Amino acid sequence: MKGKIVSIHSFRGGTGKSNVTANLAAQVAMTGKRVGVVDTDIQSPGIHVLFGLDENKMGKTMNDFLHGKATIREIGFSVGDHPGEGEGRAKLVGSNLFLFPSSIKGGEISQILREGIDFNLLNEGLQTTITEFDLDYLFIDTHPGLNEETLLSIATSDVLIIILRPDNQDLQGTSVTVDIARSLDVPNLFLLVNKALPKYDFSVIKKDIEAQFEATVTGVLPLSFDMAENASKDLFSLRYPDHEWSKSLRGVVDFVLAAK
Amino acid sequence: MSGDILKQLRETDFFKELSDDALQAVAAEGTVRRYAEGESVMRKGDAADSFFVILDGNLKIVTQDAKGDEIIINKVQPGETVGEMSLIDQRPRSAGAVALEEVEALELSKDVFLELLTERTDVTLGILKGYSNRLRFSTTYIEKVIDWSQKTAEGDYSFLENTQPMLNRAGSDDDKAAQLLSAFYSMVRKVKAREEGLKQELERLTFEIDQERRKREFEEITGTEFYAQLKAQAKALRERRAQG
Ligand SMILES: Nc1ncnc2c1ncn2[C@@H]1O[C@H](COP(=O)(O)OP(=O)(O)O)[C@@H](O)[C@H]1O
Ligand SMILES: [Mg+2]
Repeated sequence: MKGKIVSIHSFRGGTGKSNVTANLAAQVAMTGKRVGVVDTDIQSPGIHVLFGLDENKMGKTMNDFLHGKATIREIGFSVGDHPGEGEGRAKLVGSNLFLFPSSIKGGEISQILREGIDFNLLNEGLQTTITEFDLDYLFIDTHPGLNEETLLSIATSDVLIIILRPDNQDLQGTSVTVDIARSLDVPNLFLLVNKALPKYDFSVIKKDIEAQFEATVTGVLPLSFDMAENASKDLFSLRYPDHEWSKSLRGVVDFVLAAK
Repeated sequence: MSGDILKQLRETDFFKELSDDALQAVAAEGTVRRYAEGESVMRKGDAADSFFVILDGNLKIVTQDAKGDEIIINKVQPGETVGEMSLIDQRPRSAGAVALEEVEALELSKDVFLELLTERTDVTLGILKGYSNRLRFSTTYIEKVIDWSQKTAEGDYSFLENTQPMLNRAGSDDDKAAQLLSAFYSMVRKVKAREEGLKQELERLTFEIDQERRKREFEEITGTEFYAQLKAQAKALRERRAQG
C-alpha cells in the first residue's frame, strides 16, 4: 500500500514532539521521499514555526477540508517551494515536503469532534491527502495525552512513534498509550526517548525502557542546550547535522523507512 | 682487600661519598662473609654488633606476623647495607636478613663503625651525607604522597593526569620511597576507577510503572462506546489496507 501514516505522540506536552516531527519529516524528505506533515498540535510553537512559516500566509486548514469548504490542493503548503529562513531550512529547497495545517485557532478541533467527525471521515481526509499529493509518508503531530482526537490518529496510523522523557511520570503515561496502540493493532509501534541527560548511559536507558514495554526504542536523544536555544530558529538536524541529537534522530529515520 | 671490594664499596649509597683513602680504611677493617641460600645473616631481636655491606647476591628482610609466619618486608641487593640502623640507635635488630641465594657480604663490626665515626671526620661526613641523601630523597616522595593523599581525599584526581608515574622504577628494588609513590599512584587510579563505576551505578535511572494504575486508565479509555466503535472501525480499516 502506498503512503504510510506516521503519528508522533507523547503523554505530556513539551516532550519535543513538534521538533521531532518536523526534523523527522525533513530528514525523510531529504532521502527523496514525498512527505506530508499534518499539524494538529496547536500549542505554540506549532510545527509551522519550525519550518519558519508565517501562519497568516497559510490560509486554509484541514478543518476547512473536512467541512467541505476547501480542497486538499488548496491546503497543502509546499515547503520545498517556500522554505523559511535559515541555513538548515534552505536545504529543503526542491524537496517534496508539504505542510497541512490542521487548525490555527484553538477550539476548532473540539468543535469538529462535537459535530461528530468520525473515524472514517478523518481517515478519508488523510487518504485523500496521500493520494492527491502522491505521498510516501504523512506525519501527524498529535495532541499530547489521550483525547478522542488522538485516539483517532493512533487508530489510523501505520507507524506510531511515542516520544517520552526518561522519567517515571512519562513512563506511566506511555504505558497506557502502548497498550492502546496494541489494542488498536498499530502495525509499527516505536518508542523514542528525548531530553535524556547526557550523564546517563544511553544504551542502558534504551535497554531498560525496552524491557519495560517490550517495544523498540528507536533512539535516545540528549537534552541539549543547543537544541533549546536554536530549535525555533532553524531546523536543527539540517542546520547541525553532526550534533548528537541530529545523529540519533537520523537513526529513527531508518526505522520509519524500514517499517512495513 | 681486592680492588673489587673497593669498587663495590664506592657504589653503595652508604660509602659513595668517601674518598679512596677512607674507603681503604673501611675495607681493611672488614671481614668478607659468605652465606648459602636460606642462611640467616642476622636475626630479629639479636643484639647488634656489626653491619653488612652486600657484595654479591640478594637477601630478604623478614619479620613475623602475629601467627609467627614469615613476612618479607624488603629485598636487598648488592651495594646496599643491612643492619647499620641498630648500630646508631643501639637497639636490637628490628628485622632478620636471610640469603635468597649465595651471598657475599663485608661485615664491619660495631667497633669499626664507631671508630670510623670518631676518628675519621671524612668517613663520618660521608656516612651523614649518605643518610641525608636518602632522607631527602624519601622526604620528597613522602611529601608527594601527602599531597596526593590530601587531593584524593578531596576527590581531586587531576594529579593522575599531570604526573608521570615512575613505572620504570617500580619493580626495581633500588628505591623504596619511589616504590611507595608508584604503589600509591596505582592505588589512587584503582580507587578512582572504582568510584566512577559506583557513580555510574548510582546514576542509573530506575524505572517503575504502577501496573494497577496502568490497567485502570486503560480500562477507563477502552470502556467507552466511542472506543468500541473506533476499535471496530480500525480493525476494518487494517483489513482493507492489508488487501491493498
Ligand atoms: N532534546 C532537547 N533538548 C533541549 N530542548 C529540547 C529538546 N527537545 C525539545 N526541546 C525544547 O523543548 C520545548 C518543547 O519542544 P516541542 O517540540 O515544542 O515539544 P511538544 O511538541 O512535545 O510540546 C521546545 O522549546 C524545544 O526547543
Ligand atoms: Mg508541539
